[in-house]
Amino acid sequence: MTAHTDAMSGMRMGLANALAAAMPCLITTVIVLVAWEVAVEVTGVPAYIIPAPSRIWAALISGNASLGYHTAITAFEALAGFVIGSAFGALLGIVFAYSPLVARSLMPYVIASNTIPVVAIAPIIMLWFGSGIGAKVAVTAFLSFFPLALNMMKGLQSYDRTVMEVFHVAAATPLQRFFKMRLPSALPYVFVGLKLNVTFSVIGAIVSEFVQSDRGLGFVIMTAYRTLNMPRLWAAMLASALLGILLFVLVAAAERWLIPWHSSMRDNS
Amino acid sequence: MTATSPLLSFSGIDVVFPGGGTAAVTALKNISLDIKAGEFVSLIGPSGCGKSTLLRVAADLIGPSAGVVRIDGRPPDEMRRQREIGFVFQDAALLEWRRILANVALPLELQGVARDERLARARALLDLVGIAGFENAWPRQLSGGMRQRAAIARAMSTSPRVMLMDEPFGALDQITRDRLNLELSRIAEREAMTVVFVTHSIQEAVFLSDRVVVMTPRPGRITRVIDVDLPHPRQLDMRGTERFIELCQLGERLLSEGFDDSAH
Repeated sequence: MTAHTDAMSGMRMGLANALAAAMPCLITTVIVLVAWEVAVEVTGVPAYIIPAPSRIWAALISGNASLGYHTAITAFEALAGFVIGSAFGALLGIVFAYSPLVARSLMPYVIASNTIPVVAIAPIIMLWFGSGIGAKVAVTAFLSFFPLALNMMKGLQSYDRTVMEVFHVAAATPLQRFFKMRLPSALPYVFVGLKLNVTFSVIGAIVSEFVQSDRGLGFVIMTAYRTLNMPRLWAAMLASALLGILLFVLVAAAERWLIPWHSSMRDNS
Repeated sequence: MTATSPLLSFSGIDVVFPGGGTAAVTALKNISLDIKAGEFVSLIGPSGCGKSTLLRVAADLIGPSAGVVRIDGRPPDEMRRQREIGFVFQDAALLEWRRILANVALPLELQGVARDERLARARALLDLVGIAGFENAWPRQLSGGMRQRAAIARAMSTSPRVMLMDEPFGALDQITRDRLNLELSRIAEREAMTVVFVTHSIQEAVFLSDRVVVMTPRPGRITRVIDVDLPHPRQLDMRGTERFIELCQLGERLLSEGFDDSAH
């Protein structure tokens, strides 16, 4: 079967291409890190201005008041908020797609809620939900429902009109239309929303930890800032960036797995 | 059903589209047409003559403003619900997220046919339309002609009583189109399919059909029905015969007579 062989070689090509594409960035990273280390050494700039990469690394892996623990706390808050916010967003998007009247009635509020800066709304939500992890989850959920609501609605409306007629002629039930046509058509949009949400969720978790907390990466950043522990501050920043990247990669992997048919995917297995 | 009663009948069909601010458009005016079981009938005419509209009325995609449609004596919506209508669109309209086999099996899946049974049926149909090796391919990996073959197989999956085809080869190149015409003719004969086929091409209509219905626009109506007395099975080289050319010329003359350019 030619279709198989083509796709298999296409997949191998894809992997090789991805490596080749990443190579310039990897080389640049190595050069920047070496230059940074040498420059700090040569100029003798104090660590509270710019710490050397080696000291940031040491702070990152030091077992003392482990960053790993705080990262795990923040990861939990981000992930739980992401899941809850996305679930609400998906439901709202479905309601909007099926009821233009509800969409017209509520959309202005939804858009307005999305324009509120998270730093302004976080203290209010935390007064409602207390100072524990639940409050951080609530802030994160609030932040990460809007992109999916909007993309779910757009996605559900994006189906092919002729495909809808195919379903009509085949006497499909409304549920069959939803699960076998409109939802699969919406998935590429859904993943656009989920990728935005997962990025916002890390921001939501850290910002709410700034407001009030005794653990988490936001807590580490605030205490390191107050004590001018720059290597630890930089290490926390790096950890939050890595957390964001990791969650994003997980969503992207789910996308590859769930919509291998979409134009951006080459897999045929 | 007696031997003489038609399988598909239109009587006094009017379709009027409300104009939405401008004047209402009469797409079809007083159309009556009877089609027998096993017959291959083409509808031909310029854009706006309502040939696609007539097909859509038969498939219960549009309700007529006046008149009655009957398929085996029953209304189209009832026949549609019993999966007795197959429809092939100009666009293959395959589900991009399903492999070809699952696409062809879709109507059976919607009907609730068991998995093994529907996949076996879909495999047999892929073989029939000549794309047996592609059951695991994604739709976007197929050429336009192959996608349309899959769409035909899908429409045949529930073994419908009538097959309605709306310019199914309109977007294909001439060579692919000839090839698919030949194969459709072969399949329709072997399966004793009742087909109503909409096209812009008089050659295609004459080649495939037992009868060619010539339509004219504003309002859409039937000018004349040409009986195609060419022998079966049809072969591509038949298009060089005197009778084929004669029938095509007749069709072209009827089309140009009925075509009023002044309204453009």
